Amino acid sequence: MRFLGHLLAMIAVALFVGFGLSWYALSDGRLFGTIEVGPWAAWRDAGSSTPDPYTRAFVSRNGALQLGAGEGLQLIASTDSDGQRLDRACRYRIDGTTPVATFWTLVPTAPDGTPIARPGGPAGFNSGRIARAEDGSMQLYVSRTLSPFNWLEITGEGAFVLALTLYDTSSFTGVGPTVATLPSIIREACS
Amino acid sequence: MIRTLLWLLAGVVLGGVIHLTVILSLPSLAANAAWARVENLDSLNKAVVLPAAVAGEANPLHLDPELAYAVCRLDMRKGPGIVRGVLPLAFWSLAVYGRDGTILYSTTNRDGIGQNLELGIFNQVQTRLLAEQQLDVAEGLLIVESRDDDVFVVVRLAPAHQAMRKRYEAALEKISCSNNPA
Repeated sequence: MRFLGHLLAMIAVALFVGFGLSWYALSDGRLFGTIEVGPWAAWRDAGSSTPDPYTRAFVSRNGALQLGAGEGLQLIASTDSDGQRLDRACRYRIDGTTPVATFWTLVPTAPDGTPIARPGGPAGFNSGRIARAEDGSMQLYVSRTLSPFNWLEITGEGAFVLALTLYDTSSFTGVGPTVATLPSIIREACS
Repeated sequence: MIRTLLWLLAGVVLGGVIHLTVILSLPSLAANAAWARVENLDSLNKAVVLPAAVAGEANPLHLDPELAYAVCRLDMRKGPGIVRGVLPLAFWSLAVYGRDGTILYSTTNRDGIGQNLELGIFNQVQTRLLAEQQLDVAEGLLIVESRDDDVFVVVRLAPAHQAMRKRYEAALEKISCSNNPA
């Protein structure tokens, strides 16, 4: 009887560790193969022709049209800079500068990729259509309520993610002397 | 107590084995979702413009709502793939995907290509033949060697304003995508 108990406990631990770790690694786990800068994370090899096994599994499972390494890089943030999950009930300020790229877009989506901006309005920010300070920095607001400066209205309830896509960039490729900096995401107020 | 801990430790080790098995076998076990979606688009030898990602509507391919996309699928068994088109004066990029969703080649128009898109995709046998024949390759033609016989090409085009989207999508629709008879 004791043997059976040990065996069942071992199997339970094995299944929990095996499948749990796999799910975590391929979801938001950021265990292997990712670049992390503050709240932003990207699969470094997602656009490579020879991705590592974790990235290959992620690409198979994700089903998205990944951006090629020669096209750019997409970074995803599911938390703010303090590590709290992004919540549509809150107002967020995205503050700072972005790495050098021909252009970039910043799109709020539900965790499954559905855009959550107000229907009929712009779906996201585009680097070519935002107001900046004299030093090139920017202040973007993402919220359901009216906000100053560059504001994107979102709708709905629950968690969301921010997808920052840098087109035609050499940042994070190891080429060039500059260290890439990414904007911080600051939670301001929640309704 | 020690025996119980040893059993649990064995469970952790077995869990590690399960984890590695899942990670390594997932690409071959799971039919790639991106390929399956592209296959349903009737895009064989034809550039198909993808519907723009719209707020509140599912976006399984995770398209960027700011961009216009065209996709075409090629069967390399029927000969080398040729993709040709003239695109508006704006940022565009292209990527060639294999059946497993990995990217075989990607570039942007900033790499000196300009507005003219001319891409030749060859599988390994065709690439070898091309090298043996020592044919002159037209200037500006991008040559891509593919390890897969089933590939699809995605062209991304960035309209400066959404008002230009329709015109840009019309340009994407005019891209020719076919097999050059071997």
